[in-house]
Amino acid sequence: MTELLEVKNLSKSYRHKNYWLNKKTTTVLSPISFSVKTHQTLAIIGETGSGKSTLAKLLVGAEPASSGSIYLNGQLLETGSYKQRCQHIRMIFQDSGTTLNPSLTILQLLDEPLKLNTPFDELKRKELIRTTLQKVGLLGDHMNFYPHMFSGGQKQRISLARAIILQPQVIILDEALASLDPSLRSQMINLLLDLQQQMGLAYILISHNLGIIRHFSDNIMVLSQGKVVESGKTRDVMSKPQHKVTQKLLMNQSFQLKPKRK
Amino acid sequence: MNLLDIRNLSIEFVHNEQNILAVDKVSLSMKEGEVRGLVGESGSGKSLLAQALVGVLDDKWHVHADRFHWRGIDLLRLSIEERKVLLSRDIAMIFQEPMACLDPTTVIGEQLTEAIDSGQLSGFFWQRKQQRQAAAIKLLHKVGIKNHTVCLTSYPHQLTEALCQRVMIAIALAGRPILLIADEPTAAMENTNQEQIFRLLASLNQLKNMSILLISHDLENITHWTNTITVMYSGQFVEAGTTAQIFNKPLHPYTRALVDSSPSANLHLPAKSRLKTLPGSIPILQHLPIGCRLGPRCPRAQQACVKAPLVTNFHGHKVSCHFPLIPVKSPPKKIIKGVC
Repeated sequence: MTELLEVKNLSKSYRHKNYWLNKKTTTVLSPISFSVKTHQTLAIIGETGSGKSTLAKLLVGAEPASSGSIYLNGQLLETGSYKQRCQHIRMIFQDSGTTLNPSLTILQLLDEPLKLNTPFDELKRKELIRTTLQKVGLLGDHMNFYPHMFSGGQKQRISLARAIILQPQVIILDEALASLDPSLRSQMINLLLDLQQQMGLAYILISHNLGIIRHFSDNIMVLSQGKVVESGKTRDVMSKPQHKVTQKLLMNQSFQLKPKRK
Repeated sequence: MNLLDIRNLSIEFVHNEQNILAVDKVSLSMKEGEVRGLVGESGSGKSLLAQALVGVLDDKWHVHADRFHWRGIDLLRLSIEERKVLLSRDIAMIFQEPMACLDPTTVIGEQLTEAIDSGQLSGFFWQRKQQRQAAAIKLLHKVGIKNHTVCLTSYPHQLTEALCQRVMIAIALAGRPILLIADEPTAAMENTNQEQIFRLLASLNQLKNMSILLISHDLENITHWTNTITVMYSGQFVEAGTTAQIFNKPLHPYTRALVDSSPSANLHLPAKSRLKTLPGSIPILQHLPIGCRLGPRCPRAQQACVKAPLVTNFHGHKVSCHFPLIPVKSPPKKIIKGVC
């Protein structure tokens, strides 16, 4: 299997605007390298301010990287290449309630990326939307509804539909499962796993919930203050954490696992 | 004697000339010094129940109960004013989203000193202000904030969420409550902070013998910290019992599904396998199914489920289901006589 997404020495630092004589910079993400294959999931964990969300933003191109390069299928993704990037790398956000435009119907919401990125005519687009909605477990007739008519779990499915409608290769889930109720969350995990099987998607999962990470991911990367402190196969890292930060994160979680025995 | 004893509490409101039962005959009892978890997904009415307990619901909600006892006092017989005095003295509540609940225009110190009632202070009126300040600092130390001067003089937006939650707990503790209701105290917090808050609550429970009603939408998060758990679904009572009973031997299909659906509870599951889950989604209030509200999603539903089930009690493990998952008893072992 070849590498689908390869990241080399990617870093991000912000320069403070004032004091043009002694310019200060804050490094959010020190140079970082990793790769993801098809059918695989890379999980990223870390505390707040460890640069997880910055990494996600750099990958989708919402912010330009300070240095480093991203290769997709061996091809370099340049900073301005949104047309290429938004087709292949899509993102699902944490709060689906606020990321869907409330004044558009689902049809209009899903039509937008198709209009901008594909040469299809209206009939073809509508059909594609219908099949995509069915793929994520909704009905085709749901396309005439507005976002407020759906429950939280269904909204998250619509975000997923918006992410997969362009047949992407990588999907970034930035805390996408955190705000869901437990029973809906497991439905969503099942759905994501099915789609990975069918379409060969690669996921980059940013999450706090180690149970989900253990179940869902193949590889794991632990970030702390913008640096990778540990990475490897999920099972190995979870069973034998080497670094202090990982041990601390895992210890917090193991507290929640078992109920108190009396 | 039970600290709190509620029988068949219902909360309803009128919407388009139609009565909607948001909470349907829920019973809840708590012993002194107990940590009880109240678990339910969104729309299960757990926050409503807590708000009805403290009496902060507005007039459009109608609350009925068959029994509402607080430390042996029948609150239904008291007048509203008497009830308010009693409840505000003994029960404190911390709300979801601490950032949103603190006043953004006043400093923490002022909000905290406001909560300390003058009955606790001794001395003359000119000493009061200093005593109040000292009490506020003591409260902050109690919830684990060491740097009290910075905290007292800062506004809520200048503090992190975990710190705000600690301040909320300090404000709740100012009245020295007997029961603390924590409504999703750790929602949208990361692991390390979550654990700190839970540890603080646990230590308060042990040192001060304060009872805690811990409300959460996630069963797996709170199991470590609770003695007993009550599960609700869509406004109906589902199951109540000790944590071990609920987690290891759930009797209700819904609780079973909750435990099964959490990947961290099922460590034996192979990675990337399908998780067991209930089909469908949570019904909205306008279109509640009749009878047992889990009915349309329940794998064990039968014709009898169109009537709401009664609560059955198995050795203190209460469940409200027509067809509970009773473990099959193993046949009694034969006693062989004559062998010593």
